[in-house]
Amino acid sequence: MRIVAVTACPTGIAHTYMAAEQLEKTARALGHEIKVETQGAMGIENELSADDIRRAEVAIFAVDIEVEKLERFDGVKVIRVPVQDAIKNPKGIFAKIQG
Amino acid sequence: MTQPVSTSPEFTFACPLVNGLHARPASHLSGLADDFASDCSFTNLRNGAVANAKSVLSIIAADVRAGDECRVRLSGADADAACATLRRFVEEDLPLCDEPLPEVATGGDESVVLPRALRSAGVSCYPGVAVSRGIGRGKVVLVSSVALPRELSGETATDPLREQERIARAVAQVRARIEAMLVRQTSATEAAILKAHLAMLTDVSLADKLSELIAQGRTSAQAVVEACEFFVAVLRQTESAYIRERAADVQDICLQLLEEIYGRELQSPAIELREPSVVVAETLAPRQLLSLDRRQLRALVLERASATSHVVILARSLGIPTLVEVGQAALSLSQGQEIIVDADRGLIIPQLTTAVGRFYERELRTLRRRQDTLSRYATAPAMTADGQSLEVAANVSSAGELTTAFERGADGVGLFRTEMLFVGRDSAPTEEEQFEVYAEAARAGAGRAVVIRMFDVGGDKPLPYLHLPREANPFLGYRGARLYAEHLELFRTQLRAILRASAFGRVWLMIPMISSIEEVGWVKAQIAEVRGELKTEGISFDPLMRFGIMCEVPSVAFILEELCAEVDFFSVGTNDLCQYFFAADRDNAKVSVLSDVRRPGFLRFLRQIVCEVRARGKWVGMCGEMAGDARNLPLLLGMGLDEISVASSEIPTLKERISRLSAGDCEQLLARAVACRGVGEVEALLEHEQSSARERPLLDRELVIIESESESKEEAIRELVDALYIAGRTRERERLEDGVWAREAVYSTGLGHGFAIPHCKSNAVADDSICVLKLKEPVEWGALDAEPVSVVILLAMRESDATANRHMQVFARLARKLMDEDFRERLLSAEDAASVLTHLASELEIAL
Repeated sequence: MRIVAVTACPTGIAHTYMAAEQLEKTARALGHEIKVETQGAMGIENELSADDIRRAEVAIFAVDIEVEKLERFDGVKVIRVPVQDAIKNPKGIFAKIQG
Repeated sequence: MTQPVSTSPEFTFACPLVNGLHARPASHLSGLADDFASDCSFTNLRNGAVANAKSVLSIIAADVRAGDECRVRLSGADADAACATLRRFVEEDLPLCDEPLPEVATGGDESVVLPRALRSAGVSCYPGVAVSRGIGRGKVVLVSSVALPRELSGETATDPLREQERIARAVAQVRARIEAMLVRQTSATEAAILKAHLAMLTDVSLADKLSELIAQGRTSAQAVVEACEFFVAVLRQTESAYIRERAADVQDICLQLLEEIYGRELQSPAIELREPSVVVAETLAPRQLLSLDRRQLRALVLERASATSHVVILARSLGIPTLVEVGQAALSLSQGQEIIVDADRGLIIPQLTTAVGRFYERELRTLRRRQDTLSRYATAPAMTADGQSLEVAANVSSAGELTTAFERGADGVGLFRTEMLFVGRDSAPTEEEQFEVYAEAARAGAGRAVVIRMFDVGGDKPLPYLHLPREANPFLGYRGARLYAEHLELFRTQLRAILRASAFGRVWLMIPMISSIEEVGWVKAQIAEVRGELKTEGISFDPLMRFGIMCEVPSVAFILEELCAEVDFFSVGTNDLCQYFFAADRDNAKVSVLSDVRRPGFLRFLRQIVCEVRARGKWVGMCGEMAGDARNLPLLLGMGLDEISVASSEIPTLKERISRLSAGDCEQLLARAVACRGVGEVEALLEHEQSSARERPLLDRELVIIESESESKEEAIRELVDALYIAGRTRERERLEDGVWAREAVYSTGLGHGFAIPHCKSNAVADDSICVLKLKEPVEWGALDAEPVSVVILLAMRESDATANRHMQVFARLARKLMDEDFRERLLSAEDAASVLTHLASELEIAL
């Protein structure tokens, strides 16, 4: 599966990156292709291009704040979870996608 | 009425003093009145109080407030002369007698916010006003204030003459005792208090009252007790807290008289402190405080004392944590109850729950460690990160302060103000008296320079024995060096005393208020003459003693070429220099905004002075308030001063700060500051001064704590915040802690697997930091996996910083690494701080 994801938390110091790490690791373990954009204290990193988004089957938003540049995802299937879920139980999120 | 009304001239006046007719002007007035045989009656027309103008006690008891109409009436043979003299004093000198009451630092750098641990423990605390900082824990010892015996053994007066004699003898003995103590006294604070006691003991009103009581048939002891009660009641009714405080002194004096009359200690049983104690009293006599065992005395709570009372001044000089104005608190404390007095925050904590006890135990340890960190900086010479040195010296007003100053790391004394020796007395100090003081300072210097400034008095600080004229504009008038020629005797006496003291250490001589080259020439000629005298007399002095001037009049800046040929050093007095430069009085709120030392124009002026003096090979320091404010340090380093001289309490902090600045960066910062358009831009530049501080590593040894004994999430977070405080990375612990907790409120930072990463973005932290705590016993954190936490990593970051992104990358890397089991395992198993440190540094790719 091709997946894109955005992680973001209020201070953007820790949870954003922990969630990104968990999503990447879990996706790899499950054999998915994933690109994770972080929206943290350093701004947007590893930014998803229009192409990345167009090719993805699903987008995961592991966020507790508004996603920036939300318009990029018009017409894309989005699964929105709290950022903590991505840290605590990333497998659960992927199960939801497939289920 | 029985007196022949030959002549009784009188005059009236309105009290011009903001603080009312308090002890100092009252003593001037009574001193003058005492020179005449006439009766001098003084009436406060507002309240009808009638006083004897020859008595300090009775004048201050008349409760004269600002603006009160008063009448002075004289009768007797020399009444006309007395009237003229007193009238001249009241009209010309009295308006100049006011001086601000001593200020008390209660705030400090941490504004009073109840620490979270105390808030969450829900303890009740009583607020009080902290007048001497520190924290003390001990058992309450309730002390009744100077208790005069109520029962006086029922004895009856035998013969008024004998009773009168007993009193006279007692007065003489107490007087002799106080005078003996004065001779031994080295602390200016204690000496001033003793002198005040002496004045009260010999007060004419007290003597009159005692005689009156004895004439009515009282015994000497009864008379003393009643006279005491009378004056205490009168003083306590006055409006001014400052005057009410004198009641405690009167009680102390009377008790001493009683002791002499009975020939034994009455203050028995002496207050004996057998364990760590907090003494709670209405107020204490200075003598009572001095008699307490200081090893056991942890704090003082005084209901009725104010910041200006003698006991408080003494407590501050002894470093005893002290609270006053505690409201009802004192009533509810009972003997033997264990309490904490937190005079950093102005609190009494009466219930020592386990949580409170633990908090303060840790707080005291933290404060000690912070002191240890600071003292490491204090004992070494101050050196910037790029190797430029800056001497940090102390400003003092008495020889007794030198020991403390050197303990705090003073590299010398940059300003020894000698005015203290001259004020508050009726005649000038003798050469011998001055020599003792200066020689003691020179010896205490032990090779370090002690800059002694010759007396700097003038219209704003009148001395009764100088009879200085009243001036419309004292700051532009007759003061400092300008009155040396007329008061030659005074000047030469001091000069001799200083020169003689120069044989005992490294004494530098400094002259205040110089504005022209002629003044310097005159002073130098005087020095040469005095040296000649001493040589002839075979008295030793340092022939190479350095000679310098204050740079406090702007004209000096334009004759530096000529001055540098004549003097060895300069010390910039920014307080006066700045107000003369801008022609704006810094004590006048309407214009003080103009005389701001951080205005670009003034900074340019200072830079030019320092540059030129140094280019001419002379030494230049700064002793004004500008030097004591740590925020100005980058500017001062940028100028290239040789020395700054500040209040000794500021020295350790300033030295720590200097070690983290780079002189090169500071020079550039100053260049940008002088180019700013206004003071606001300079302030903003300094606010982001972080860029010119040497960047501290994100992580270092003092930020790794292993085997922590914290027992809860609260304690763990506090311990991390304290670690940053000890390392000098935060000065606002409560603000930082609250920032961390604000984050916790959104959701728990316990990320599972026994790890937690509390974090916050806050300018309460001076440097971006990673701080690690390994707990002995895991604590509950509300973690994602509901498991307790045993490793806590605090990430603290400034809100805006040039280095933000670079540091943020490290934080992001750490956050990602924590998702990695191997990484976590190695941190969990690391047994000492060093391996935690190297593991983190290599994984996060940061330099230590």
